[in-house]
Amino acid sequence: MRALRIAATGMAAQQLNVEVISNNIANMNTVGFKKQRAEFQDLLYQNVERAGVQSSTGGTVVPTGVQIGSGVKAGSVYRITEQGALTQTGNKLDLAIDGKGFFQVLLPTGETAYTRAGNFSVSENGQIVTSEGYVVQPAMTIPQGATDVTISPDGQVQATIAGQTAPANVGQLQTAIFYNEGGLEAVGENLLLESTASGPPIVGAPADNGFGKLKQGYTESSNVDAVSEVTALIVAQRAYEMNSKVVTAADQMLSTASQLKS
Amino acid sequence: MNTSLYVGLSRQETLQRALDIAANNIANADTAGFKVEQPLVRTEPTALPGTGLDSRPIAFVLDQGVGRDFREGALENTGGAYDVAIGGDGFFQVQAGAGLRYTRDGRFTVDAQNRLVTKAGDPVLGDNGRPIVLDPNRPAPAIAKDGTISQAGVNLGRIGVFRFADLSTLQKAGANLYSVPDDSQAIAAPDATTLQGVVEKSNVQPVLEITNLIEITRAYERVARMMDQTSDLASRAVNSLGRVN
Repeated sequence: MRALRIAATGMAAQQLNVEVISNNIANMNTVGFKKQRAEFQDLLYQNVERAGVQSSTGGTVVPTGVQIGSGVKAGSVYRITEQGALTQTGNKLDLAIDGKGFFQVLLPTGETAYTRAGNFSVSENGQIVTSEGYVVQPAMTIPQGATDVTISPDGQVQATIAGQTAPANVGQLQTAIFYNEGGLEAVGENLLLESTASGPPIVGAPADNGFGKLKQGYTESSNVDAVSEVTALIVAQRAYEMNSKVVTAADQMLSTASQLKS
Repeated sequence: MNTSLYVGLSRQETLQRALDIAANNIANADTAGFKVEQPLVRTEPTALPGTGLDSRPIAFVLDQGVGRDFREGALENTGGAYDVAIGGDGFFQVQAGAGLRYTRDGRFTVDAQNRLVTKAGDPVLGDNGRPIVLDPNRPAPAIAKDGTISQAGVNLGRIGVFRFADLSTLQKAGANLYSVPDDSQAIAAPDATTLQGVVEKSNVQPVLEITNLIEITRAYERVARMMDQTSDLASRAVNSLGRVN
């Protein structure tokens, strides 16, 4: 009875689907979060009777053959990297990327992580850091006594210092783009790491060819759409129920078989 | 020899297979581009040798094959730049490790070499038979109705769409792919329509599949009852007819 195992693969797949959807809904208000989708593929097929074999000595040929599938598997859970809505916050150190690109963040381990969450602040020694305190790369120090910070769409950071007329140049922010953004590995805290699937980062100045512009005073909201998530949830739940019906049917047939009089 | 028991058994075997196929349809109800299957059975009339008085042929049930319904599945609008569906007939061509494969699942992505690939990482081929390479420094590609893929106005080629004169030669290879014994059977379809931002769902109809399930279980029970009655008959014949007072 393959049906039992096939239905089990279906139920496992839908369970994963619900897990992915619930993670999307849970992160609906996470800055820079990109929604994910579980993607399914059919499993291998078993050729019970091959197409094209001769079915009789007269030379008749089986036209289609009997191929029986063995269920479904989750092929991948991929990130949909479309732009989230930009929300105005008024905070001087909130940055959103309008277009392609990721901010670079130095992790305590020495690795570079990438993020779309630009809700930055200033650390006690004047560096621009993420909400976890990781330094945004390239590191720059905002001088003490700065009354205002301006960040231009192309990443120029300037500080206005009390008593000086011209704003002082603090540094140039750089962003990174990837061949395959979907291949980046998520490590939590809105951070992503480079992987073999994503390819190496291409670092450049914002607003350059292929790079998105920076917007000061904005953050990028998650791109989770509540309505489509709830619809997906309903579909997943019904699909789960249908697979459980198959289990019932297979069970009923087995019980019929075992009750045959000998 | 009691042939009706074996006739019943032949039906039960095909019903179990029918359940396996229905289970696979339901498990893949949410698999993009999946095509629903149904078992085809035939009767195998057999003349029983040496039954002079009653020589009616006996009809066993045998698997004939699996029929695939290639009708289009529902189209879901995802808005994804790399989601492509084929309107009407046709298949995308994919260069898998084991050779050329065909698929209706158009949820593509780009790999680290910047090629247009399936979710499994197999390159999608253009109508020239070569992978389509994108430019990472340009915005997301636009795919026209005729399959032409371009980035910021720069033409990158066309996504190949192929048709088959005889769809029954297609074999499912798993991972939403089909294979054919001979790739020359794939005929280029330059008139096919490709839709960007759309994914073709499976064409599994839940209501039909659930009705199928009920039908299969009930048929199985009927055959079981028939077999029970046959064995009852035999035991009664042994117990009653054979009694000599």
